[in-house]
Amino acid sequence: MNTRLLMTMHVKVGTLLNIGAVPHGTRRTAPLGSGTFEGPRLRGTILPGGSVDWQLLRTDGVLEMDLRFTLRTDDGALISMRSFGLRHGPPEVIAAIGRGETVDPSTYYFRTMPRFETAHPAYLFLNRLIAVATGDRRPEGPIYTIHEVL
Amino acid sequence: MSVPIHSRPLMVLRLATSATQDIGSTPQGTLTIFPVIGGSFDGERLRGKVLAGGGDWVTARGDGTVTLDLRVTLETDDEGLIHMTFTGVRDDANHYFRTVPRFETAVPKYAFLNRLVAVGIGEIRPEGPVHLIEEIL
Repeated sequence: MNTRLLMTMHVKVGTLLNIGAVPHGTRRTAPLGSGTFEGPRLRGTILPGGSVDWQLLRTDGVLEMDLRFTLRTDDGALISMRSFGLRHGPPEVIAAIGRGETVDPSTYYFRTMPRFETAHPAYLFLNRLIAVATGDRRPEGPIYTIHEVL
Repeated sequence: MSVPIHSRPLMVLRLATSATQDIGSTPQGTLTIFPVIGGSFDGERLRGKVLAGGGDWVTARGDGTVTLDLRVTLETDDEGLIHMTFTGVRDDANHYFRTVPRFETAVPKYAFLNRLVAVGIGEIRPEGPVHLIEEIL
């Protein structure tokens, strides 16, 4: 499988809302306050408000993520980005992340599959690609390295 | 620190479909349903057959691309059942056909499928669609 870098995204997470135990796991919501993205073909900022991570901690210990971002490029285009993702790893690593420590991202599995929607002519290529991201959960929020699947 | 993308083969999925059900023009595009009547999957860690009774909901959008929305049940050669879905995009003008599969199973031996993300590279062959599915490591 061939990929190429689409962008790197730095996200600041707001205060987690703990919804609690739901029938299929523990649900919590993470507002994504602000952030930036930068790549060879696009760069800009993350708009707060519509950018939230709906998380479900499953009974098998896997964290499922349902991420929605609104991106604004430096030339004014709005892009809707939605990702499904999974995060899991050794209990001690996940606990360290929970304590707000910086952990080597290669010690756990944090992958997302972003999809994009835009109406802006300069970014229509985003509507027709599949992407894969690796995540690195830092204390202030995740860093996603997003690759286009070629 | 960014982590590079690595992948490894998970399975080759072959689907057999019956006559399409042409729903026609909807607000989302032109919807065609491809009933899945069988098929096979084969990889180092799992192999078996695709059960009849699934389908692929295929929407031709206004921009010349096609989106896919598939649901099937896989049965492994040791009788494990795996629920598989994928969404994807096909852009014939650019020879681009990629999917994002997901798996759900209750069989302990195949529980690793519940914990991975994957990408499929699709090909339309004379005998039907073939998907080369890779696990994202």
